[in-house]
Amino acid sequence: MADWRHSIALRLSLAFALLATLVFAALGVYFSRAADAHMAELDAHDLFGKLALIGHVGAQEKTAETFAARLGDALIGEHGVIVTVNPKNGPIFNWPTPELAEPLAAAKVGLGRTPVRLVLGDAEYRVIAADMETAWGETAHVVVARDIRHHTDFLDELQRDFRFAILAAALLTAIVGALVVRRGLHPVRAIAHAAGRISAGQLAERIPEQNVPPELAELVTAFNAMLGRLEDSFKRLSDFSADLAHELRTPIHSLRMQTEVSLSKVRHVDEYRDLLASNLEEYERLARIIADMLLLAKADHGLLVPHSEPLALRPLCERLIEYYGLLAENVSLQLVGDDITVQGDRLMLERAIGNVLVNAIHHTPAGGSIVVKVGAVDGLAELSIVNTGQPIPTEALHRVFDRFVRLASGPEGGATEGTGLGLAIARSIVLAHGGEIAVRVGEQATEFYLRLPCPAGGAN
Amino acid sequence: MKILIVEDEAKTGDYLKQGLSEAGFTADLVRNGLDGMHGGLAGDYDLLILDVNLPGLDGWQVLKALRAAGRDLPVLFLTARDQVEDRVKGLELGADDYLVKPFAFSELLARVRTLLRRGRARDAESLSLADLELDVLKRRATRAGQRIDLTAKEFALLELFLRRQGEVLARSFIASQVWDMNFDSDTNVVEVAIRRLRAKVDDAFSPKLIHTLRGMGYVMEIR
Repeated sequence: MADWRHSIALRLSLAFALLATLVFAALGVYFSRAADAHMAELDAHDLFGKLALIGHVGAQEKTAETFAARLGDALIGEHGVIVTVNPKNGPIFNWPTPELAEPLAAAKVGLGRTPVRLVLGDAEYRVIAADMETAWGETAHVVVARDIRHHTDFLDELQRDFRFAILAAALLTAIVGALVVRRGLHPVRAIAHAAGRISAGQLAERIPEQNVPPELAELVTAFNAMLGRLEDSFKRLSDFSADLAHELRTPIHSLRMQTEVSLSKVRHVDEYRDLLASNLEEYERLARIIADMLLLAKADHGLLVPHSEPLALRPLCERLIEYYGLLAENVSLQLVGDDITVQGDRLMLERAIGNVLVNAIHHTPAGGSIVVKVGAVDGLAELSIVNTGQPIPTEALHRVFDRFVRLASGPEGGATEGTGLGLAIARSIVLAHGGEIAVRVGEQATEFYLRLPCPAGGAN
Repeated sequence: MKILIVEDEAKTGDYLKQGLSEAGFTADLVRNGLDGMHGGLAGDYDLLILDVNLPGLDGWQVLKALRAAGRDLPVLFLTARDQVEDRVKGLELGADDYLVKPFAFSELLARVRTLLRRGRARDAESLSLADLELDVLKRRATRAGQRIDLTAKEFALLELFLRRQGEVLARSFIASQVWDMNFDSDTNVVEVAIRRLRAKVDDAFSPKLIHTLRGMGYVMEIR
């Protein structure tokens, strides 16, 4: 189930929108502060200018009346400026009208170099106050105010614009971000699509590795490698099943034929006995194949756990050679090398080594020889079985340990009596012991060698 | 000799009983662990053939109960699983021998005879059949008075045959007894060994003593 809370596109879009909001908001705050400061400076400049004008007129005119008249002239054309001049005994000058100016005189405005903001009626002002000595000998309190409504209107508008811009930017980045992410994730969808096409029947399918963004290259490579391994295992499994079916079908087919033919007419009791004996041989063969297959299946699943005990390798080989040597009638079989102790399961190792030995015997022509050599190599016990005769063809070398492989290189045109599982079992057993088994070929000889772990304490 | 078979598989049980009866034993068959335990505790059996997988009480439990009650009759257990642990567990619990299914009936028969023979008088030191004679201590074999040269393994094989006269010996049993090869091998090593032994013991003489029972094994007897 897709959970929208975990959607990459959604989360990235929201993150983009949030980022845009923050950036625009910060810019907005900065610009409105800067504009506000700039306007305050302009207003202060203007207000000090007015104060200077009033001071100049007050210092020149000899009476309050001429002062008011001249100041009134000087202020004609000024909009949004309120001036009130108040000596101790009442106002002598109110601009533009007493109604507007008088409340200003009552306002508590301290004397200072910095204009203060003041709300009078429905308008906002920047106000400055000063005391002035007039030429006619009075001290007058002067208050100058400037209507800053157009400034605050401008700032309000700016802020409104910014809010709108923030909203628009957030929306836009969210949408564009979602589109970009969708596009960016396209290769992921392509991978998913390719993965969706893959079924047991199409394990050969691969995700194209070109045009993959570098961030996803690793994923694609790993995915393809996994497919490769699956394909390989699956192929081996299906080959194996097919081989198994074939191996079991052959004896069952002959059992059925024999029995059917025998039952088709009345026969002598000896013939029935022969039939049953022949059937018995086939049953044995089937039972052996199944037992071998079970062992291999167990090994495949890591369930083949060898019993672990120290075993002297040379005496073990001696017994195997004595036993299987009976099969090698015109072949010289010799054991060389010093004894060495290995760690393992006696039954299993006897079986593994026995299988390799039997394989060597089957592939040695009359008059040939087999040399079994035990020794230590790199702290491991090594057992090598070399037989003379036509070497295994190089192209078949990698298949010798596969199941149901019977190479037709034996002296009688191939060892057909076995189940074809001998070397596969040998390998499974050796691997279960943590050892290794391999084959190499020479001019006129084939060598199988097994390496097995020695007990702790190293090779002796 | 009375044998109790505890086996829940119908066909296997029936044929085991038939085969053992025809081999001259008195065989009783029960099909679950509980009956097996009661039979083993109460009856006067000389041997118990015990399947491991049984309904109710399994083979291990039956074996445990018998040994706990002090019954020391030999027990041969049958298992379908070729697991080392099974083998070890069975032997630890006091079983005397085991066989992994599927097995050859002749192999079972041979093991049964071995178990029943165990604990009896010492094996004879000289064995004979017709004019074939074997001196176990001196490792000498003669037929019709003529000395036969045998390798150690050939001697062991002949001794096995003579000790088991009239018994069918499965190839796997022979491999295990003579060469200590305890896994089922798909080679014809034993056939080759028997052929060589025959060449020395039988070919130039009459009557023939070693006979092949196709599909089953070999038997030594006068026919």
